[in-house]
Amino acid sequence: MANTLRLYLTCIRNTLEAAMCLQNFPCQEVERHNKPEVELKTSPELLLNPVLICRNEAEKCLIETSINSLRISLKVKQADELENILTKKFLRFLSMRAEAFQVLRRKPVQGYDISFLITNYHCEEMQKHKLIDFIVQFMEDIDKEISELKMSVNTRGRLVATEFLKQFI
Amino acid sequence: MFTLTIQNIHTISEEEERSSYIRMACIERASPALKQILLKLCCAEKPLEIDHHLYEFGSVEYHIQSQASNPQVAYLSISMPPLCHGVIQNELSSYTIEMVKGLCPNVVGIAEPAKEGYQLTLKLNLNQIPQNKDYDKVIKEISTVHSVILSSQLKEILWNVNFDDALQGMYKPIKLVYHPKDHFFLIRQPQRIIAVFPIRFREKSDVIIATAFFQELVDVGSSDKWAKVPPCNWSAIPPPELRGEAFEDLSTNGGFFTFDISSRHVEGNRLDKTVWNLLNFNAYVRYHVKSTKGFIQRRMRKRLESLVEVLHQTNLEENEQTKQHQVYRYTKKLVRSAKYAVLKQRWGTFGRKIKRIRFRLKIHGFTRFRQQWFRFPKFSTGYTKIVEKSA
Repeated sequence: MANTLRLYLTCIRNTLEAAMCLQNFPCQEVERHNKPEVELKTSPELLLNPVLICRNEAEKCLIETSINSLRISLKVKQADELENILTKKFLRFLSMRAEAFQVLRRKPVQGYDISFLITNYHCEEMQKHKLIDFIVQFMEDIDKEISELKMSVNTRGRLVATEFLKQFI
Repeated sequence: MFTLTIQNIHTISEEEERSSYIRMACIERASPALKQILLKLCCAEKPLEIDHHLYEFGSVEYHIQSQASNPQVAYLSISMPPLCHGVIQNELSSYTIEMVKGLCPNVVGIAEPAKEGYQLTLKLNLNQIPQNKDYDKVIKEISTVHSVILSSQLKEILWNVNFDDALQGMYKPIKLVYHPKDHFFLIRQPQRIIAVFPIRFREKSDVIIATAFFQELVDVGSSDKWAKVPPCNWSAIPPPELRGEAFEDLSTNGGFFTFDISSRHVEGNRLDKTVWNLLNFNAYVRYHVKSTKGFIQRRMRKRLESLVEVLHQTNLEENEQTKQHQVYRYTKKLVRSAKYAVLKQRWGTFGRKIKRIRFRLKIHGFTRFRQQWFRFPKFSTGYTKIVEKSA
């Protein structure tokens, strides 16, 4: 793993550890409702300042925290058109299957590729450090997977090209 | 127009997938629908009355006729748009007809004149088809009639590569339409022909995958190992040779792919290969894009499973820990109750002695009162109730 990536992920991990202290909090606007305040943003006193962690212009992570929920938005690097299309395809594929992940948001925050929404219920159901591990590992895996996919597509292309040119001989 | 079959399977070694398969596109020359009908006709036990119209890709029409009164003969009529408007006439050339006759000389004959609305009518002598294992091969040969016509038309154009004609309009691009949506251009030049393929796709993702493939094709083609193949090139803008062509022909989203065909690529056996590759280049690219998208989808599904597994493990570990904790507490309870039974037996007599000591002072008339109000509650612990008799 590149040193810059390690620093980037460590920074995200530390920020998440600090931010993920969520508690149950009923909605102040609607009686008998319990909604993630980070999504509603109706009461400013229940929100913390959002933290933006950037590795470079192409890669960044926005962490928005409230009293009962936490929203993590990721922007994944896309060096060229092929990476761009693979990232879009893959992250859309994951977002469409958000129910399998429990903490994945169906629609990413504008300007980002994928978003997670963690509520106090998730923290009660799952261990905090394991949840943070999952998000950090997810970020690592996405980068790795897109690089591998790109390499596979190019390798396939080369083999198919070779096979086509063989037919001329 | 053509059907795609799997020809070769190549293995790629990757970190995660030790062996993932690449299916190479090969265009089958035989029409599968036509082959199926001819097989049905050939293998029929009773004479069949057949009158079938087949359309392939909206551009080729087959008409098959067979009468029960004369089951030995079937008529196959073919209608197709000309490969090249203007240069080659609508009716088929003598060379093309000879090529069709050569498919299977005993079985195939040309019916004169052709059925109305069709360019060519073939008379098939079904009794000449061998009844052993070879009949399948013969029918497959007959089913390739469309590809034979197309190939022979293109061969006629390519043959002129060595003739340095000084005719006017010699360098004007020839537009070849072998499918309603796909076309390519041939530009004759001294000692060579340039084949230009405009590439169009509906989706942007298809364009990007195809572009990656073209870059690989150019890289492979430009290496020394592949010096014998026609030099190829990809460009996002149309080549200068296509200046003056209709705007709709040059408006593409996938750019233009060019092959430089010299005289050595059309000599002897190579001519057939070159013709076939040019005719099927577009289909080949489309098949590659389609199979690559399928590969990406499979890969994503596999990755999804592994990512979900990580999250589910978090849940499972949590549940297991809770269960373990509950079991531990329960066993503790069990142990406690077992110990308690032993202690109860040991210290039962000792307890009784203590009670006796507590009530050693005897007050007359107080016994009844004590029995009523100071009675020890009946515990489930097994303590024996002491009832003192009044002296």
